[in-house]
Amino acid sequence: MKKLFAVLFAAAVGLAFAQPVTIGILSPLTGGAAGTGQAQRAGFELALKEINEAGGVLGQPLRIVIEDDRADPATAVAAFEKLMTEDGVEFIAGGFSSGATLALVESFRTFQPIVSWIGGASSGIGNDDFEGIEELLGEEEWFFHIHPWDYQNVEATFGFIRDLGVQSVAVLHEDGAFGTPGAAGLEAGVEAMGIDVALREAFTSTLTGGTGDFRATLSKVGAANPDMLYWIGYDSDAQPLSSQLKELGVAPKYVFGAPPGWPTGIEQAPEMECVMGLIGYLPNLPNPEAVAFAEAYRAMHGTYPDNYMAALAYTQLWSYADAINAAGTTDQAAVIEKLKTMTFRSPMGEWSFKPSTIAKHQGFGADMWLVFQFQNGVREIVWPADRATAPLAACR
Amino acid sequence: MDLTLLPQALVSGVLASGLYALVAVGLALAIGVIGIVNFAHGEFFMVGAFLAYQLFVSFGFDPLLSILFVAPVLFVIGAAIYTSTIRFVLKAPELNQMLLTFGIGIILQNLALMIWGGDPRSIGGVPYRAMGVQVGGVSVGLVPLGSFVISVLLVGGLYLVLARTPLGRAMRAVAQNRVGAGLVGLEVNRVYLVAFGLSALLAGIGGVMIAVIQSPTPTVGLAYTLKAFAIVVLAGLGNVRGIVSAAIVVALAESLVATLVPNGDALRNAVFFALILGTLVYRSWRKA
Repeated sequence: MKKLFAVLFAAAVGLAFAQPVTIGILSPLTGGAAGTGQAQRAGFELALKEINEAGGVLGQPLRIVIEDDRADPATAVAAFEKLMTEDGVEFIAGGFSSGATLALVESFRTFQPIVSWIGGASSGIGNDDFEGIEELLGEEEWFFHIHPWDYQNVEATFGFIRDLGVQSVAVLHEDGAFGTPGAAGLEAGVEAMGIDVALREAFTSTLTGGTGDFRATLSKVGAANPDMLYWIGYDSDAQPLSSQLKELGVAPKYVFGAPPGWPTGIEQAPEMECVMGLIGYLPNLPNPEAVAFAEAYRAMHGTYPDNYMAALAYTQLWSYADAINAAGTTDQAAVIEKLKTMTFRSPMGEWSFKPSTIAKHQGFGADMWLVFQFQNGVREIVWPADRATAPLAACR
Repeated sequence: MDLTLLPQALVSGVLASGLYALVAVGLALAIGVIGIVNFAHGEFFMVGAFLAYQLFVSFGFDPLLSILFVAPVLFVIGAAIYTSTIRFVLKAPELNQMLLTFGIGIILQNLALMIWGGDPRSIGGVPYRAMGVQVGGVSVGLVPLGSFVISVLLVGGLYLVLARTPLGRAMRAVAQNRVGAGLVGLEVNRVYLVAFGLSALLAGIGGVMIAVIQSPTPTVGLAYTLKAFAIVVLAGLGNVRGIVSAAIVVALAESLVATLVPNGDALRNAVFFALILGTLVYRSWRKA
């Protein structure tokens, strides 16, 4: 009888340990930011397939639960609390909107799971009037931020702007938690280089209730007559901004956009020729990890990834799987230690968490970013020079 | 404040009012004739935008030509939605009607998400999208001008239909007194069906225009629904005739604030909320 109990006990313990690891994901699958959320989901699905084909996590198939946060603060908080209370997850992944992330700060603090975040770029560094996500969460041991902060986004372009030799810049930005601190950082950085900021204006993004009529703001750009127009907004702002510039006859020497992604099909628009932008990953990157990711993605989803958030999501899930496997347990302290100390693979090359200005665990920094230019319907990488796929085209 | 930009602001504002009027007049028709506040109006607009996009991608249709296809399809969609849902709540409390149309809007949004995904979609090669004619230092964009002309023709046409045709008279009669119109032999349900179909058709044509200007997403209709509500409130609920002047007021106010005030574009939504508030306060004060 004792032997039977021992066998049953061992089986029960075995079953308990055999529970698959579940990672809870917050992503804007619907709503105005759904393009980014769907790209994230595609990246997570590819990573999940590969992780499980490679043996899973702790000997069991990895599970993910994706909750739609709609990039909406209230929805995000409810979705996170559902993941913590109903699904009982210990690891949180995903993330996009800065506004939604700011709303999640207190909930994160309440439950304190390990949070690995690929969105929420809002920092507040360089903006004394604003406390961003980095100030509010950056020092927490359990918070890991993979996406660059907004000041790192704009830092990435400072060298490029200096190389261009521009004398004046007009800065347009969406009026939310994404664009406002980014524009403040950009303005400070550009002025520190001795370049004149001829104009700084906020606009309502088409993502957050704007109609896409930017003619009034672009008229002001025309009056300011800068060498470069630099705008920070969302994907859906790209088309109206570019076409209305041409329509109004406003022609700065360089037009640079910094949305998280670009609309499907926009490369075919003639008015996009020569427009430049910032991107973390493109399928035509020549490094072997990027090529492998692009081909695996195409095999699974039928097209090449169009949004760098797919690559970041893929990277994020693999980093969790590698860290938990290396720790050999889901114990929080052990997994945090592995996340802090390991080097991970990604389509953007090898990476690891390092401190940023405030945050203890920052994944990618300014070095992740590439500058591309629309040239004959293709996004060619034009900067930095060592990763360029084509020289910068002079258009005006 | 740079007053040299004023002429451009005036021209841009007036041209923008055409699209606003087109979307609002459809909403006013649904409210005025059927008495239903249609929260799915922006989703008809979105469906029109995506149909134009799909016709371009699949068959290379110029978006403006696609109006010939999109308009009847939207009429049929509107009529089908009326027949299958709206007509059952005509006597229900207004809150139930609003919840129904809100639900229809969410269903249409999610259907679009399933079919086209969440990425903004751009109709790439529209040769005339970025064209503008410079007149005395003011740029007149071909697309805003074209959409203004089309909108004026459609709104004017609708006005003529309402004023001069038996269908229009029937609509006005039903709008004034549903029971009385029925008693004199009018097919009230059929009139409602046509009115709702026309409302969807007008929104759909607005959507085609926005597919040229913007990169549509499943939520593209929201901003225009809000503008349309502001215009309808400004014109007076159900007042189709006042729509054009109300649209001009809203579009001009937005354009002037966006141009003359620092960071004014970010105040556009505040402008139309202020207009709604001001109108409601003025109306209640005048009644008192």
